Amino acid sequence: MDFMELLNFYLMPGIVLGCIYALGAIGVTLIFSILRYAHLAHGDLATLGAFLALAIVSGFGVSPLAALPVAMIGTAVIAVFIDKAFYNHLRERPKIVTVMASLGIALMIRAVIQVVWGVDSESYVRGIVRPENYWGLRIRDREIYTIAFMIAVVVALQLFLGRSKWGKAMRAMSDNPDLALLSGIDNRKVIILTWLIAGGLCASAGVFLGLNTELKSMMGWHMLLPMFAATILGGVGRVDGAVLGGLIVGVAEELSVLVLPSEYKTATAFVILLLMLLVRPTGLLRGKVL
Amino acid sequence: MSALLSMNEVSGGYGDTQILKAVSIEVAPDEIVVIVGPNGAGKSTAMKAVFGLLNVRSGNIVFDGDDITSWAPNKIVQRGICYVPQVDNIFRDMTIHENLEMGAFLKSGDLSAAFDRVYELFPDLKDRPRTLAGSLSGGQRQMVAMGRALMLDPKLLLLDEPTAGLSPKYMDQIFQICRDVRETGVSIMLVEQHAKQALAFADRGYVLAAGQNRHEGTGEQLLADREVAEMFLGG
Repeated sequence: MDFMELLNFYLMPGIVLGCIYALGAIGVTLIFSILRYAHLAHGDLATLGAFLALAIVSGFGVSPLAALPVAMIGTAVIAVFIDKAFYNHLRERPKIVTVMASLGIALMIRAVIQVVWGVDSESYVRGIVRPENYWGLRIRDREIYTIAFMIAVVVALQLFLGRSKWGKAMRAMSDNPDLALLSGIDNRKVIILTWLIAGGLCASAGVFLGLNTELKSMMGWHMLLPMFAATILGGVGRVDGAVLGGLIVGVAEELSVLVLPSEYKTATAFVILLLMLLVRPTGLLRGKVL
Repeated sequence: MSALLSMNEVSGGYGDTQILKAVSIEVAPDEIVVIVGPNGAGKSTAMKAVFGLLNVRSGNIVFDGDDITSWAPNKIVQRGICYVPQVDNIFRDMTIHENLEMGAFLKSGDLSAAFDRVYELFPDLKDRPRTLAGSLSGGQRQMVAMGRALMLDPKLLLLDEPTAGLSPKYMDQIFQICRDVRETGVSIMLVEQHAKQALAFADRGYVLAAGQNRHEGTGEQLLADREVAEMFLGG
Protein backbone atom coordinates (compact mmCIF):
# COMPACT_ATOMS: atom_id res chain seq x y z
CA MET A 1 0.00 0.00 0.00
CA ASP A 2 1.48 3.35 -0.98
CA PHE A 3 1.17 6.58 0.92
CA MET A 4 -1.66 8.07 -1.17
CA GLU A 5 -3.73 4.98 -0.53
CA LEU A 6 -3.08 5.27 3.21
CA LEU A 7 -3.96 8.95 3.07
CA ASN A 8 -7.11 8.57 0.99
CA PHE A 9 -8.63 5.52 2.62
CA TYR A 10 -7.48 5.75 6.23
CA LEU A 11 -6.00 9.11 7.26
CA MET A 12 -8.52 11.36 5.52
CA PRO A 13 -11.62 9.55 6.85
CA GLY A 14 -9.89 9.51 10.24
CA ILE A 15 -9.32 13.24 10.18
CA VAL A 16 -12.93 13.92 9.16
CA LEU A 17 -14.20 11.64 11.93
CA GLY A 18 -11.73 13.29 14.30
CA CYS A 19 -13.12 16.74 13.47
CA ILE A 20 -16.62 15.48 14.30
CA TYR A 21 -15.43 14.00 17.60
CA ALA A 22 -13.61 17.26 18.33
CA LEU A 23 -16.79 19.33 17.88
CA GLY A 24 -18.51 17.15 20.47
CA ALA A 25 -15.49 16.89 22.76
CA ILE A 26 -15.17 20.69 23.01
CA GLY A 27 -18.61 20.78 24.62
CA VAL A 28 -17.82 17.84 26.89
CA THR A 29 -14.62 19.51 28.05
CA LEU A 30 -16.34 22.88 28.68
CA ILE A 31 -19.09 21.25 30.72
CA PHE A 32 -16.56 19.08 32.54
CA SER A 33 -14.43 22.05 33.56
CA ILE A 34 -17.12 24.64 34.28
CA LEU A 35 -19.98 22.56 35.67
CA ARG A 36 -17.73 19.74 36.84
CA TYR A 37 -19.59 16.69 35.70
CA ALA A 38 -19.51 14.24 32.80
CA HIS A 39 -22.48 15.01 30.58
CA LEU A 40 -23.64 11.61 29.32
CA ALA A 41 -26.47 13.05 27.23
CA HIS A 42 -24.00 14.80 24.95
CA GLY A 43 -24.13 12.10 22.29
CA ASP A 44 -27.91 12.02 22.13
CA LEU A 45 -28.02 15.80 22.08
CA ALA A 46 -25.87 15.53 18.93
CA THR A 47 -28.39 13.09 17.46
CA LEU A 48 -31.15 15.58 18.21
CA GLY A 49 -29.23 18.30 16.36
CA ALA A 50 -28.75 16.02 13.39
CA PHE A 51 -32.47 15.20 13.21
CA LEU A 52 -33.51 18.83 13.68
CA ALA A 53 -31.40 19.58 10.62
CA LEU A 54 -33.09 16.68 8.80
CA ALA A 55 -36.50 18.16 9.59
CA ILE A 56 -35.40 21.48 8.11
CA VAL A 57 -33.80 19.83 5.08
CA SER A 58 -36.88 17.78 4.26
CA GLY A 59 -39.38 20.43 5.35
CA PHE A 60 -37.96 23.39 3.44
CA GLY A 61 -35.88 21.62 0.81
CA VAL A 62 -32.69 23.47 1.80
CA SER A 63 -29.18 22.01 1.90
CA PRO A 64 -27.89 20.47 5.15
CA LEU A 65 -25.34 23.26 5.47
CA ALA A 66 -28.12 25.86 5.35
CA ALA A 67 -29.99 23.89 8.02
CA LEU A 68 -26.87 23.68 10.22
CA PRO A 69 -27.09 27.11 11.91
CA VAL A 70 -30.78 26.64 12.67
CA ALA A 71 -30.18 23.16 14.11
CA MET A 72 -27.30 24.54 16.20
CA ILE A 73 -29.40 27.36 17.64
CA GLY A 74 -32.32 25.00 18.28
CA THR A 75 -30.15 22.47 20.08
CA ALA A 76 -28.38 25.19 22.07
CA VAL A 77 -31.71 26.50 23.33
CA ILE A 78 -32.87 22.96 24.17
CA ALA A 79 -29.60 22.39 26.07
CA VAL A 80 -30.22 25.50 28.17
CA PHE A 81 -33.78 24.35 28.79
CA ILE A 82 -32.62 20.87 29.90
CA ASP A 83 -30.17 22.51 32.30
CA LYS A 84 -32.85 24.77 33.77
CA ALA A 85 -35.45 22.00 33.99
CA PHE A 86 -33.28 19.18 35.31
CA TYR A 87 -29.60 19.73 36.12
CA ASN A 88 -30.08 23.08 37.83
CA HIS A 89 -32.00 21.50 40.71
CA LEU A 90 -29.17 19.06 41.35
CA ARG A 91 -26.36 21.64 41.43
CA GLU A 92 -25.82 21.49 45.18
CA ARG A 93 -25.93 17.68 45.27
CA PRO A 94 -22.93 15.39 44.68
CA LYS A 95 -21.94 15.55 41.01
CA ILE A 96 -22.57 11.85 40.45
CA VAL A 97 -26.29 12.57 40.85
CA THR A 98 -26.18 14.91 37.86
CA VAL A 99 -24.13 12.39 35.86
CA MET A 100 -26.84 9.78 36.44
CA ALA A 101 -29.54 12.32 35.62
CA SER A 102 -27.78 13.08 32.33
CA LEU A 103 -27.92 9.38 31.50
CA GLY A 104 -31.68 9.58 31.99
CA ILE A 105 -31.85 12.68 29.78
CA ALA A 106 -29.89 10.76 27.13
CA LEU A 107 -32.54 8.02 27.14
CA MET A 108 -35.34 10.60 27.06
CA ILE A 109 -33.88 12.45 24.09
CA ARG A 110 -33.32 9.20 22.20
CA ALA A 111 -36.86 8.02 22.90
CA VAL A 112 -38.27 11.31 21.58
CA ILE A 113 -36.16 10.99 18.43
CA GLN A 114 -37.34 7.41 17.88
CA VAL A 115 -40.96 8.39 18.35
CA VAL A 116 -40.75 11.36 15.99
CA TRP A 117 -38.36 10.11 13.31
CA GLY A 118 -38.47 6.32 13.75
CA VAL A 119 -35.58 3.92 14.15
CA ASP A 120 -34.59 3.51 10.50
CA SER A 121 -31.54 5.07 8.87
CA GLU A 122 -32.09 8.41 7.19
CA SER A 123 -29.86 10.63 5.10
CA TYR A 124 -29.79 14.32 4.14
CA VAL A 125 -28.99 13.70 0.50
CA ARG A 126 -29.73 10.48 -1.36
CA GLY A 127 -27.32 8.87 -3.80
CA ILE A 128 -23.59 8.28 -3.83
CA VAL A 129 -21.19 11.19 -3.88
CA ARG A 130 -17.93 10.40 -5.61
CA PRO A 131 -14.87 12.14 -4.20
CA GLU A 132 -13.08 14.80 -6.21
CA ASN A 133 -9.49 14.13 -7.11
CA TYR A 134 -6.96 16.84 -6.21
CA TRP A 135 -3.50 15.73 -7.39
CA GLY A 136 -4.17 12.23 -6.14
CA LEU A 137 -5.86 13.34 -2.92
CA ARG A 138 -9.42 12.07 -3.05
CA ILE A 139 -11.77 14.16 -0.95
CA ARG A 140 -15.48 14.96 -1.00
CA ASP A 141 -16.92 18.46 -0.61
CA ARG A 142 -18.71 17.47 2.59
CA GLU A 143 -15.37 16.37 4.04
CA ILE A 144 -13.82 19.72 3.20
CA TYR A 145 -16.79 21.48 4.84
CA THR A 146 -16.41 19.36 7.99
CA ILE A 147 -12.71 20.15 8.36
CA ALA A 148 -13.14 23.84 7.50
CA PHE A 149 -16.04 24.23 9.93
CA MET A 150 -14.10 22.62 12.77
CA ILE A 151 -11.10 24.89 12.16
CA ALA A 152 -13.32 27.99 12.00
CA VAL A 153 -15.11 27.02 15.23
CA VAL A 154 -11.88 26.41 17.12
CA VAL A 155 -10.33 29.70 16.02
CA ALA A 156 -13.51 31.60 16.92
CA LEU A 157 -13.83 29.87 20.28
CA GLN A 158 -10.19 30.42 21.21
CA LEU A 159 -10.54 34.12 20.37
CA PHE A 160 -13.73 34.30 22.43
CA LEU A 161 -12.18 32.56 25.46
CA GLY A 162 -8.94 34.48 25.21
CA ARG A 163 -10.13 37.99 24.40
CA SER A 164 -13.73 38.61 25.41
CA LYS A 165 -14.94 39.48 28.88
CA TRP A 166 -17.44 36.63 29.08
CA GLY A 167 -15.00 34.17 27.56
CA LYS A 168 -12.53 35.03 30.28
CA ALA A 169 -15.31 34.70 32.85
CA MET A 170 -15.88 31.15 31.59
CA ARG A 171 -12.19 30.39 32.05
CA ALA A 172 -12.24 32.01 35.49
CA MET A 173 -15.14 29.83 36.58
CA SER A 174 -13.38 26.76 35.27
CA ASP A 175 -10.20 27.79 37.09
CA ASN A 176 -11.61 28.75 40.50
CA PRO A 177 -15.40 28.88 40.89
CA ASP A 178 -15.37 30.27 44.44
CA LEU A 179 -13.09 33.13 43.52
CA ALA A 180 -15.13 33.81 40.38
CA LEU A 181 -18.16 34.27 42.63
CA LEU A 182 -16.19 36.54 45.00
CA SER A 183 -15.16 38.62 41.98
CA GLY A 184 -18.82 39.25 41.22
CA ILE A 185 -19.00 36.99 38.15
CA ASP A 186 -22.59 35.89 37.66
CA ASN A 187 -22.24 32.10 37.56
CA ARG A 188 -25.77 31.58 36.22
CA LYS A 189 -24.97 33.58 33.10
CA VAL A 190 -21.70 31.71 32.63
CA ILE A 191 -23.58 28.41 32.89
CA ILE A 192 -26.15 29.49 30.27
CA LEU A 193 -23.34 30.60 27.97
CA THR A 194 -21.57 27.27 28.45
CA TRP A 195 -24.71 25.35 27.49
CA LEU A 196 -25.34 27.53 24.44
CA ILE A 197 -21.82 26.91 23.14
CA ALA A 198 -21.70 23.21 24.06
CA GLY A 199 -25.22 22.57 22.71
CA GLY A 200 -24.57 24.36 19.42
CA LEU A 201 -21.27 22.60 18.79
CA CYS A 202 -22.78 19.28 19.79
CA ALA A 203 -25.49 19.75 17.15
CA SER A 204 -22.87 20.54 14.53
CA ALA A 205 -21.08 17.28 15.41
CA GLY A 206 -24.34 15.42 14.82
CA VAL A 207 -25.08 17.20 11.54
CA PHE A 208 -21.59 16.53 10.16
CA LEU A 209 -21.72 12.91 11.28
CA GLY A 210 -25.08 12.58 9.50
CA LEU A 211 -23.69 14.32 6.44
CA ASN A 212 -20.65 12.06 6.22
CA THR A 213 -22.41 8.81 7.16
CA GLU A 214 -26.12 8.47 7.84
CA LEU A 215 -28.61 9.46 10.51
CA LYS A 216 -29.60 6.86 13.07
CA SER A 217 -31.21 7.26 16.45
CA MET A 218 -28.17 5.63 18.08
CA MET A 219 -25.55 7.64 16.17
CA GLY A 220 -24.82 10.07 18.99
CA TRP A 221 -24.78 7.45 21.70
CA HIS A 222 -22.10 5.58 19.77
CA MET A 223 -20.12 8.80 19.57
CA LEU A 224 -20.16 9.33 23.35
CA LEU A 225 -17.19 7.14 24.21
CA PRO A 226 -14.90 8.56 21.50
CA MET A 227 -15.86 12.08 22.60
CA PHE A 228 -14.94 11.36 26.22
CA ALA A 229 -11.75 9.59 25.13
CA ALA A 230 -10.84 12.68 23.10
CA THR A 231 -11.58 14.99 26.04
CA ILE A 232 -9.44 13.05 28.50
CA LEU A 233 -6.70 12.38 25.95
CA GLY A 234 -6.28 16.08 25.25
CA GLY A 235 -6.61 17.22 28.85
CA VAL A 236 -9.90 18.15 30.52
CA GLY A 237 -10.79 21.83 30.27
CA ARG A 238 -8.71 22.54 27.18
CA VAL A 239 -10.34 23.33 23.85
CA ASP A 240 -7.09 22.71 21.94
CA GLY A 241 -6.78 19.42 23.84
CA ALA A 242 -10.26 18.35 22.78
CA VAL A 243 -9.34 19.00 19.13
CA LEU A 244 -6.03 17.16 19.38
CA GLY A 245 -7.70 14.28 21.24
CA GLY A 246 -10.56 14.13 18.74
CA LEU A 247 -8.19 13.93 15.79
CA ILE A 248 -6.04 11.25 17.43
CA VAL A 249 -9.05 9.11 18.35
CA GLY A 250 -10.60 9.53 14.88
CA VAL A 251 -7.40 8.63 13.04
CA ALA A 252 -6.63 5.77 15.45
CA GLU A 253 -10.09 4.28 14.88
CA GLU A 254 -9.63 4.31 11.10
CA LEU A 255 -6.05 3.02 11.28
CA SER A 256 -7.03 0.19 13.65
CA VAL A 257 -8.79 -1.44 10.69
CA LEU A 258 -5.35 -2.13 9.24
CA VAL A 259 -4.47 -4.50 12.06
CA LEU A 260 -7.81 -5.44 13.67
CA PRO A 261 -11.13 -6.68 12.34
CA SER A 262 -13.36 -3.65 11.74
CA GLU A 263 -15.77 -4.79 14.49
CA TYR A 264 -13.11 -3.65 16.95
CA LYS A 265 -12.95 -0.13 15.53
CA THR A 266 -14.97 1.40 18.37
CA ALA A 267 -12.90 -0.42 20.98
CA THR A 268 -9.92 1.69 19.91
CA ALA A 269 -11.31 4.75 21.66
CA PHE A 270 -11.82 2.71 24.80
CA VAL A 271 -8.23 1.43 24.74
CA ILE A 272 -6.91 4.98 24.27
CA LEU A 273 -9.07 6.20 27.17
CA LEU A 274 -7.83 3.43 29.50
CA LEU A 275 -4.18 3.87 28.57
CA MET A 276 -4.36 7.62 29.03
CA LEU A 277 -6.01 7.34 32.46
CA LEU A 278 -3.31 4.89 33.54
CA VAL A 279 -0.29 6.69 32.12
CA ARG A 280 -1.12 10.38 32.12
CA PRO A 281 -4.51 11.23 33.64
CA THR A 282 -4.00 14.97 33.07
CA GLY A 283 -4.03 14.41 29.30
CA LEU A 284 -1.51 15.36 26.62
CA LEU A 285 -1.91 19.09 27.18
CA ARG A 286 -2.02 18.97 30.99
CA GLY A 287 -5.67 19.55 31.81
CA LYS A 288 -7.39 19.34 35.16
CA VAL A 289 -6.94 16.37 37.46
CA LEU A 290 -10.37 14.94 38.14
CA MET B 1 -16.51 59.07 64.04
CA SER B 2 -19.11 56.72 62.64
CA ALA B 3 -17.97 53.23 61.70
CA LEU B 4 -17.65 52.11 58.09
CA LEU B 5 -18.40 48.54 59.08
CA SER B 6 -19.99 47.34 62.25
CA MET B 7 -20.75 43.77 63.15
CA ASN B 8 -23.21 43.83 66.01
CA GLU B 9 -23.36 40.74 68.22
CA VAL B 10 -23.24 38.38 65.27
CA SER B 11 -23.87 34.69 65.98
CA GLY B 12 -23.82 31.95 63.40
CA GLY B 13 -21.86 29.26 61.62
CA TYR B 14 -21.92 26.92 58.68
CA GLY B 15 -25.14 24.94 58.41
CA ASP B 16 -26.34 24.26 61.94
CA THR B 17 -23.01 24.72 63.71
CA GLN B 18 -22.49 27.67 66.01
CA ILE B 19 -19.03 29.17 65.61
CA LEU B 20 -19.52 32.85 66.31
CA LYS B 21 -21.16 33.82 69.60
CA ALA B 22 -22.24 37.46 69.65
CA VAL B 23 -19.10 38.83 67.99
CA SER B 24 -18.92 42.60 67.58
CA ILE B 25 -16.27 44.27 65.44
CA GLU B 26 -16.04 47.80 64.09
CA VAL B 27 -13.91 49.26 61.35
CA ALA B 28 -13.68 53.04 60.97
CA PRO B 29 -12.93 54.76 57.65
CA ASP B 30 -9.22 54.64 56.75
CA GLU B 31 -8.49 52.24 59.56
CA ILE B 32 -6.51 49.00 59.61
CA VAL B 33 -8.10 46.53 61.99
CA VAL B 34 -6.52 43.18 62.75
CA ILE B 35 -8.28 40.17 64.22
CA VAL B 36 -6.03 37.81 66.12
CA GLY B 37 -6.64 34.82 68.33
CA PRO B 38 -5.72 31.20 68.81
CA ASN B 39 -6.56 28.55 66.22
CA GLY B 40 -10.26 27.86 65.93
CA ALA B 41 -11.19 31.17 67.55
CA GLY B 42 -13.48 32.06 64.65
CA LYS B 43 -11.28 34.75 63.12
CA SER B 44 -11.73 33.73 59.50
CA THR B 45 -15.34 32.86 60.19
CA ALA B 46 -16.00 36.39 61.39
CA MET B 47 -14.57 37.69 58.13
CA LYS B 48 -16.65 35.31 56.06
CA ALA B 49 -19.77 36.46 57.95
CA VAL B 50 -19.17 39.98 56.65
CA PHE B 51 -18.97 38.63 53.12
CA GLY B 52 -22.25 36.74 53.29
CA LEU B 53 -20.61 33.31 53.31
CA LEU B 54 -21.99 32.36 56.69
CA ASN B 55 -25.34 31.44 58.11
CA VAL B 56 -25.91 34.42 60.41
CA ARG B 57 -28.58 33.56 62.99
CA SER B 58 -28.65 36.67 65.09
CA GLY B 59 -27.09 40.09 65.12
CA ASN B 60 -26.51 42.25 62.08
CA ILE B 61 -23.78 43.67 59.90
CA VAL B 62 -24.00 47.28 58.79
CA PHE B 63 -21.75 48.65 56.09
CA ASP B 64 -21.72 52.31 55.12
CA GLY B 65 -25.32 52.78 56.24
CA ASP B 66 -26.73 49.57 54.71
CA ASP B 67 -27.65 46.43 56.60
CA ILE B 68 -25.76 43.87 54.49
CA THR B 69 -26.44 40.84 56.71
CA SER B 70 -26.73 37.73 54.50
CA TRP B 71 -26.46 39.62 51.22
CA ALA B 72 -25.15 37.57 48.28
CA PRO B 73 -21.39 37.95 47.77
CA ASN B 74 -21.70 39.54 44.32
CA LYS B 75 -24.00 42.20 45.76
CA ILE B 76 -21.56 42.87 48.57
CA VAL B 77 -18.72 43.24 46.07
CA GLN B 78 -20.78 45.78 44.20
CA ARG B 79 -21.46 47.68 47.42
CA GLY B 80 -17.73 48.16 48.02
CA ILE B 81 -16.26 45.29 50.03
CA CYS B 82 -13.70 42.99 48.44
CA TYR B 83 -12.44 39.82 50.02
CA VAL B 84 -9.19 37.92 49.57
CA PRO B 85 -9.47 34.34 50.82
CA GLN B 86 -6.52 32.69 52.51
CA VAL B 87 -6.10 29.91 49.97
CA ASP B 88 -7.05 29.51 46.31
CA ASN B 89 -7.15 33.26 45.96
CA ILE B 90 -5.92 33.53 42.37
CA PHE B 91 -6.91 32.17 38.96
CA ARG B 92 -3.88 29.94 38.37
CA ASP B 93 -4.33 29.28 34.67
CA MET B 94 -4.89 32.92 33.84
CA THR B 95 -2.30 35.66 33.42
CA ILE B 96 -1.61 38.35 36.01
CA HIS B 97 -3.40 40.86 33.80
CA GLU B 98 -6.43 38.59 33.37
CA ASN B 99 -6.59 38.00 37.13
CA LEU B 100 -6.83 41.74 37.67
CA GLU B 101 -9.37 42.03 34.86
CA MET B 102 -11.60 39.44 36.54
CA GLY B 103 -11.39 41.49 39.74
CA ALA B 104 -12.94 44.35 37.80
CA PHE B 105 -15.62 42.17 36.22
CA LEU B 106 -18.45 44.31 37.59
CA LYS B 107 -16.89 47.50 36.26
CA SER B 108 -17.77 48.51 32.74
CA GLY B 109 -15.86 50.89 30.54
CA ASP B 110 -12.22 51.87 30.72
CA LEU B 111 -10.18 49.92 33.22
CA SER B 112 -6.84 51.60 32.59
CA ALA B 113 -7.07 53.85 35.66
CA ALA B 114 -7.77 50.82 37.88
CA PHE B 115 -4.89 48.88 36.29
CA ASP B 116 -2.52 51.83 36.78
CA ARG B 117 -3.50 52.14 40.42
CA VAL B 118 -2.95 48.45 41.15
CA TYR B 119 0.29 48.22 39.17
CA GLU B 120 1.54 51.26 41.09
CA LEU B 121 0.89 49.49 44.37
CA PHE B 122 2.49 46.27 43.10
CA PRO B 123 5.39 47.23 40.82
CA ASP B 124 6.53 43.58 40.89
CA LEU B 125 3.52 42.66 38.78
CA LYS B 126 3.80 45.46 36.28
CA ASP B 127 6.77 44.07 34.36
CA ARG B 128 5.14 40.81 33.33
CA PRO B 129 1.39 41.09 32.92
CA ARG B 130 1.30 38.00 30.66
CA THR B 131 2.81 35.60 33.20
CA LEU B 132 0.48 32.86 34.43
CA ALA B 133 -0.47 33.57 38.04
CA GLY B 134 0.00 29.91 38.97
CA SER B 135 3.70 30.08 38.15
CA LEU B 136 4.41 32.88 40.65
CA SER B 137 5.96 32.60 44.11
CA GLY B 138 3.78 32.70 47.23
CA GLY B 139 4.39 36.37 47.93
CA GLN B 140 3.70 37.40 44.36
CA ARG B 141 0.53 35.33 44.30
CA GLN B 142 -0.63 37.21 47.38
CA MET B 143 0.01 40.45 45.51
CA VAL B 144 -2.04 39.23 42.54
CA ALA B 145 -4.81 38.24 44.95
CA MET B 146 -4.80 41.65 46.66
CA GLY B 147 -4.52 43.40 43.32
CA ARG B 148 -7.55 41.53 42.02
CA ALA B 149 -9.56 42.61 45.05
CA LEU B 150 -8.48 46.25 44.67
CA MET B 151 -9.50 46.55 41.02
CA LEU B 152 -13.06 47.52 41.95
CA ASP B 153 -11.83 50.35 44.13
CA PRO B 154 -13.49 48.99 47.29
CA LYS B 155 -14.07 50.98 50.46
CA LEU B 156 -13.15 48.00 52.61
CA LEU B 157 -10.69 45.22 51.91
CA LEU B 158 -10.93 41.93 53.81
CA LEU B 159 -7.70 39.94 53.97
CA ASP B 160 -7.68 36.43 55.38
CA GLU B 161 -4.16 35.68 56.65
CA PRO B 162 -2.34 37.45 53.85
CA THR B 163 1.08 36.52 55.24
CA ALA B 164 0.45 32.81 55.86
CA GLY B 165 3.39 30.79 54.61
CA LEU B 166 5.37 33.83 53.50
CA SER B 167 8.98 34.65 54.38
CA PRO B 168 9.54 37.53 56.84
CA LYS B 169 10.72 39.69 53.94
CA TYR B 170 7.42 39.25 52.09
CA MET B 171 5.48 39.64 55.33
CA ASP B 172 6.95 43.11 55.84
CA GLN B 173 6.26 43.91 52.22
CA ILE B 174 2.60 42.87 52.49
CA PHE B 175 2.16 44.97 55.66
CA GLN B 176 3.77 47.93 53.91
CA ILE B 177 1.41 47.47 50.97
CA CYS B 178 -1.52 47.44 53.40
CA ARG B 179 -0.39 50.85 54.67
CA ASP B 180 -0.06 52.11 51.08
CA VAL B 181 -3.53 50.83 50.28
CA ARG B 182 -4.94 52.59 53.33
CA GLU B 183 -3.34 55.82 52.08
CA THR B 184 -5.55 55.52 48.97
CA GLY B 185 -8.66 55.63 51.19
CA VAL B 186 -9.37 51.94 51.64
CA SER B 187 -10.07 50.51 55.08
CA ILE B 188 -8.62 47.09 55.82
CA MET B 189 -9.78 44.31 58.08
CA LEU B 190 -7.37 41.42 58.28
CA VAL B 191 -7.05 38.15 60.10
CA GLU B 192 -3.53 37.32 61.19
CA GLN B 193 -1.69 34.37 62.61
CA HIS B 194 1.47 36.44 63.20
CA ALA B 195 -0.18 38.33 66.04
CA LYS B 196 2.79 40.30 67.33
CA GLN B 197 3.83 41.76 64.02
CA ALA B 198 0.25 42.38 62.97
CA LEU B 199 -0.72 44.19 66.18
CA ALA B 200 2.40 46.32 65.88
CA PHE B 201 1.35 47.59 62.49
CA ALA B 202 -2.45 47.79 62.79
CA ASP B 203 -4.41 50.73 64.16
CA ARG B 204 -6.63 48.59 66.30
CA GLY B 205 -7.01 44.94 67.08
CA TYR B 206 -9.56 42.45 68.30
CA VAL B 207 -8.68 39.27 70.12
CA LEU B 208 -11.20 36.49 69.58
CA ALA B 209 -11.25 33.23 71.46
CA ALA B 210 -13.74 30.38 71.16
CA GLY B 211 -15.95 32.44 68.88
CA GLN B 212 -16.29 35.35 71.29
CA ASN B 213 -14.80 38.83 71.75
CA ARG B 214 -12.05 38.62 74.34
CA HIS B 215 -10.10 41.88 74.09
CA GLU B 216 -9.99 44.95 71.95
CA GLY B 217 -7.91 48.07 71.77
CA THR B 218 -5.13 49.75 69.87
CA GLY B 219 -2.28 47.55 68.77
CA GLU B 220 -0.05 48.95 71.48
CA GLN B 221 -2.61 48.41 74.22
CA LEU B 222 -3.09 44.80 73.23
CA LEU B 223 0.63 44.13 72.93
CA ALA B 224 1.09 45.56 76.45
CA ASP B 225 -1.79 43.57 77.94
CA ARG B 226 -0.46 40.77 80.13
CA GLU B 227 -3.46 38.51 79.64
CA VAL B 228 -3.25 38.82 75.87
CA ALA B 229 0.47 38.13 76.00
CA GLU B 230 -0.01 35.01 78.09
CA MET B 231 -2.86 33.80 75.97
CA PHE B 232 -1.02 33.38 72.74
CA LEU B 233 1.78 35.81 72.19
CA GLY B 234 4.19 33.49 73.95
CA GLY B 235 4.69 35.56 77.15
